[in-house]
Amino acid sequence: MTKRKLNFDSATSLLYPLIFGIVILMMWQCGVLHSIFRTDEYILPYPTRIFRIIIENFDKILENVNSSVFVIIIGLAAGSVLGYIAAIGATVSPKFGKGGLTVISAFNAIPIVAMAPVIMNWTKDVSSDAEVRSTVAKIIVVTLMCMASMSINAHRGLNELKPFSLDLMKSYAADNKTVFLKLRFPNSIPYIFTALKVSVPGSVITALVSEYFAEYRAGVGRQIRENILIAQYSTAWAYIVVACLIGIILFALLLAAEGIFLKRRKS
Amino acid sequence: MNKLKRLTETKYFMTVLWIVIIIALWEIFAFIVAATKRTPENILPHLTGIMESVMSDRTINGGQTAIQMVMENAAATLSRAGIGYVVGIVCGFVLALLMSLWKPIEKIAFPYLMLIQMIPILGMAPIINALTGDIAVSRVAIAAILTFYPVATNTLAGFKAVQREKHELMYSYAANKFQIYTKTMIPACIPYFFTGLKISAPMAITASILVDTLQGGIGLGCLLSQALKGAMTRYVFWQIVFFSAIIGILSFSVMGLLEYILCPYKRTSKKEKE
Repeated sequence: MTKRKLNFDSATSLLYPLIFGIVILMMWQCGVLHSIFRTDEYILPYPTRIFRIIIENFDKILENVNSSVFVIIIGLAAGSVLGYIAAIGATVSPKFGKGGLTVISAFNAIPIVAMAPVIMNWTKDVSSDAEVRSTVAKIIVVTLMCMASMSINAHRGLNELKPFSLDLMKSYAADNKTVFLKLRFPNSIPYIFTALKVSVPGSVITALVSEYFAEYRAGVGRQIRENILIAQYSTAWAYIVVACLIGIILFALLLAAEGIFLKRRKS
Repeated sequence: MNKLKRLTETKYFMTVLWIVIIIALWEIFAFIVAATKRTPENILPHLTGIMESVMSDRTINGGQTAIQMVMENAAATLSRAGIGYVVGIVCGFVLALLMSLWKPIEKIAFPYLMLIQMIPILGMAPIINALTGDIAVSRVAIAAILTFYPVATNTLAGFKAVQREKHELMYSYAANKFQIYTKTMIPACIPYFFTGLKISAPMAITASILVDTLQGGIGLGCLLSQALKGAMTRYVFWQIVFFSAIIGILSFSVMGLLEYILCPYKRTSKKEKE
């Protein structure tokens, strides 16, 4: 009986949102949404039309997706590694390091719109090619954004150890390197995923926004804006859908990776 | 000497030291840039130069000094961000309440709350602007959407974290649903609620500035893009950058302070831990 109830429970938790989503899509396709928002199908095109545009302009969209995803992945990796190194630094010398972590987390509160143009200015001399220097600038902005959440979470993971585990390591006469490899690093892995869950969506947003300020016109975010400026709303919507897909796919990949890495832990 | 040693042991000393290091680095690079570049104030001006431009009473357009102009635009931007923030908080809290009251709503809304986190809302700013047709409405709307989901998810987590014993106690008191919520659930979720507020405060400000850059008129974002194009002295740009950075950090700490004032019970438990 309880098993049957459980099945019903899990079935509805899949069915309800699915039905809701389909209802919204139907309302969109039938023009009910248009009357709610008081707009026309020009500004809010039908889903079928958006889908057709994605298919038709697939090559061009893919080019921009490549540009954005490259920035997101490199920035995310660089920011996470640097953040982790900062966390190790703060663990090695707690006093000096903790102040540093406070400063890094303050960076997180700086609006991207203020940071992006400054970084664009600073990277003017990196290369004579506008595409290269814009990409470098965008990667730096994403890196700064990802550093904060990783450093704070990793610091927690490296230091919030199980009671007495550090004493046990000491009684084994383990040196610092062994303590790090056998105790602190494994302990920090779940915290790394917590940090990534914040910084993956964050890095997508940061990359799209920093594209607005970049010199070189490339990337999904920039295309959304450019197409709105020339009143090509359907194309802009196509890029929005693509941007959402990037965010969702990256997050799904992260969840899959978490499942693989933390599998042993759960059992 | 002893006094100096005690000073280095205080909590804020290291933070201050880091700030001093950053300022020193900035100034060193500013000297290098000033020596090598033709227009140093475009890339990295001296901090003193920025301070000077804040203090100066030279008017730059229509009888306003640089700082007056920044402040006027900032007031417009911040008030919009504030309205959006409040709207987002109210919607987020109400949704979390409904989700905890009625299971099907939670089942419908929760996956979409997760989904909306992965969608780059700021990237959608131009289209929301086109949808609402009015830039003022879209500013408020985007700030509200960005505030809405951290508040909703965190508050819901707060409702779920209420211990079972508390429910049982209220049940044994024959408390009705209204009493359960006002006496146990809502006070218990307040710390989680504040976590949501802290996450979303800088986001609401970023959103408001970003939407400004899309269209002319008044607002920090408009001024920022005008200054970037060289319509006025570059120091206006630097003033905006520093101002928005300070506001972003302040908004986060103001929420922390508010939490400290409104949640005295959390304060004492922290002390006990130490």
